[in-house]
Amino acid sequence: MSVASHGSTRRSRRWLPYVVLGGLLILIVLRMSYLMGLEGRFNGAFFVRALIDSVKLGSLYALIALGYTMVYGIIRLINFAHGEVFMVGAFATYFLFTVTPYGWVSALLFAAVLAFGVNRLVALFRTSPRDPVTLGATGVSFVALFFLLQAGTWPFWAALIGSMLATGVLGVTIERVAYQPLRTAPRNSLLITAIAVSFLLQNLGLLTLTNRQTPFRPETGLLNAVQLPIGEQVVQTNALFVGIPLLTLVLVLVLHNFVTRSRLGRAMRAAAQDAETAQMMGVSVNKVIATTFFIGSILAAAGGAMWGLNFGSLNQPAILGILPGIKAFAAAVIGGIGSLPGAVIGAVVIGFSESFLTALFPRTADFQGITEFKDTFAFVLLIIVLLIKPSGIVGEDLSEKV
Amino acid sequence: MKKTRGSTPTALDAVDPKRRLRNVALTLGALALGALALYLLEGIGSSKLTQALALCAIWGIATVSLNQINGTLGILSLGHHGFMLIGGYTTGLLTLSEASRRNIVNSARSTMTEDTLALSMTNLFNSLGLTGLTTPETEWVRFVVAVLFGGILAAVVGLIVGFPSLRLRGDYLAIVTFGFGEIIRLSASTRIFSPLTNGALGFSGLNSDFGKSVWWTFGFLAITVFVISKIKYSSYGRAMQAIREDEVAAEAMGVNLAYHKVLGFVISAFFAGIAGGLWVSWLAGVRLEYFLFSLTFFFLVAISAGGTGSITGVLLGTALVVFVRQYGDPLEETYSLQTWLYIASAVLGIAAVAAAAFRTFRRLRPRWNPSVWVPAALAVVGVVMASLDPAFLDGTFRGFGMRAIFLSVLLIVIMIFRPEGIVGRAEFSWGRLFGDDRSQPTDEERRQDAWLSNPELNKSAAVDDASRRLPEGGA
Repeated sequence: MSVASHGSTRRSRRWLPYVVLGGLLILIVLRMSYLMGLEGRFNGAFFVRALIDSVKLGSLYALIALGYTMVYGIIRLINFAHGEVFMVGAFATYFLFTVTPYGWVSALLFAAVLAFGVNRLVALFRTSPRDPVTLGATGVSFVALFFLLQAGTWPFWAALIGSMLATGVLGVTIERVAYQPLRTAPRNSLLITAIAVSFLLQNLGLLTLTNRQTPFRPETGLLNAVQLPIGEQVVQTNALFVGIPLLTLVLVLVLHNFVTRSRLGRAMRAAAQDAETAQMMGVSVNKVIATTFFIGSILAAAGGAMWGLNFGSLNQPAILGILPGIKAFAAAVIGGIGSLPGAVIGAVVIGFSESFLTALFPRTADFQGITEFKDTFAFVLLIIVLLIKPSGIVGEDLSEKV
Repeated sequence: MKKTRGSTPTALDAVDPKRRLRNVALTLGALALGALALYLLEGIGSSKLTQALALCAIWGIATVSLNQINGTLGILSLGHHGFMLIGGYTTGLLTLSEASRRNIVNSARSTMTEDTLALSMTNLFNSLGLTGLTTPETEWVRFVVAVLFGGILAAVVGLIVGFPSLRLRGDYLAIVTFGFGEIIRLSASTRIFSPLTNGALGFSGLNSDFGKSVWWTFGFLAITVFVISKIKYSSYGRAMQAIREDEVAAEAMGVNLAYHKVLGFVISAFFAGIAGGLWVSWLAGVRLEYFLFSLTFFFLVAISAGGTGSITGVLLGTALVVFVRQYGDPLEETYSLQTWLYIASAVLGIAAVAAAAFRTFRRLRPRWNPSVWVPAALAVVGVVMASLDPAFLDGTFRGFGMRAIFLSVLLIVIMIFRPEGIVGRAEFSWGRLFGDDRSQPTDEERRQDAWLSNPELNKSAAVDDASRRLPEGGA
């Protein structure tokens, strides 16, 4: 979370990004016009569809990448388990809109988890999770949720909110159980623990949720068909092309406001700059870290639910989280890990490079297309960025100092 | 040992020649005993036991080589499955039998060409005129040479993967190695490499006589351990350990960082390639699913459980992980939900007791913090619920993936409570076993000590004594 302005870029190279961007744009336009002349199916609608896909993907990656970047900004941990948190978010949504209404045992368990989430959520804006307002909200929501879970099938929006709360609780639990005991341990131990947590969640998902592809088709207006007239052609799509970016935008703005305006947000920025000094200034760093995990997991859960909507099905738990997680991590690194706007920028870059590049190099008569290199490309991009500019586009230099 | 003319003293000179002789004799004796034990186990044991032992040796090679980077060099490497994949596919392609090659030719989904299918050890030896090495009796020569080829190819890739380590450190480097491992795995099935790897189909019908034989696998393991431990105690190994402790200080002392880091990667990748070759022979086939990231994860568990940096510990950890993998089937069977609830409560109860013991032992206060009473309370709730036998516990449940869950929980627990592993960085040695370190000083050393502590002979000792006495008097 970089807050300090970084005016260290040398004046003589200010033009460089614009030249690179402009050059890339020109190349893309040239390639597009070449393709349009090549075959009839590469028309305006084809590229508009690719553009819509990349915007949707970029927004989804942004939701995940924010969690990576926030956690890294504060405890310098690459939270390997974040992809699995995203997976749990997707499945929690699924189980809230399909399996409801629950029997009383499951309702009791779920209501307890969700009420704990409500507790954490209210505590973000109160002084303590144990103050009267927070406790009252927790109790009331527990009772209400207990009956609501037994009442009937939940609509998608309710499932989304419920999943965000439950996944937030999961994030806090992971932090408390696995990461907090290692606060002073070497960073390699922390990373190994994160990998172990990720592996644990994958296999727990396989064990308890499902072990096959799961259809994800809730009743929601977001899936309504939309026709976009582009010149003479019509692009068939659904309301998600507005819904996903809009949800991301709203959540990012809320997060931005929270981080810059609220008390806890200020504490987060202080801890990101220097946790030790922040602690000495009276910031409860443990609370800040728990909050970071809570918010990051909430965003990942929203991403998971939207991921399911976008693709219409969920992969089995052991593989659903890995690739989106890695790509979102790549996005966070490209944008500059530790920086909130950087994560969004990087996610857009990754989304475009995944979706729009495949459209720019499609399967033609004499070329087989680059679809099969899509996943490899994310890793290559990650390695190149790490080697050339580890600080990313807008990030501060986090390389270890003596 | 008497110093020979012209040689500089080394650390080995400190070892008494009689003790060195004893150590070598004991090592040879232990090897002979181990071989006898293997012979007996192979004779009386089931094929399951033999397979488990062979797997233990194969994964032992992999973990010992991974430990070369993770333990000795202090770089967290997460791309070991990629190196093993290269060794595995090379061995698989080179040793594939003629019948399997014909099957691939006849298969419509195969992506291999005539040229790539002609790549085999038999053809290589024929073209070199070594027709004596193409008979069925000499298959082992072809296998060994193919495995070595795999190791060399993996080492070349290790060279490439090692270069980012010159620019990056810590978790970024770990991510880059992970990225390389995944790039290798993902690109193996793309159209660039699928003529060599047969795409998603892979090869089947490999000869598993070598991979499942304890003699071949333990032979390779013995060579690996010998070479890696020799490297560990050589000047190269000491330089690598210096890099692990403090990169900047090591560089200041004249250690060539780039050279030693890349060397570490190359050595590690070489042995990983060999482990990959044996691994596909053990599996009797090559497929992409055999080289998932979970492989590296299991090695990581083995290394961390045994003791990062210690070859002894790593082998112990590997034995543990292989035991869980090969004999953990009861964990994955179908039991009633009630039984599962009892099992879960028992695990939580043990966790609560262990946490309480840990806090008492370490004198942590408060003793009854949530890490004790939360699992205890959950265990009590679980037992009560299970004993009431309510209707919702009537189903059955299959413990699918329980072994992986067990190993990940084990890794988390180890990282929290004993991050250095079971044996830490200590190595097994005969000297330690016989208490050589605690031995009495020799007469020569006694005489030197006497001289050092005699103020009449050693003026600086007298000064030391005086300066030591001064503050007492002054205070």
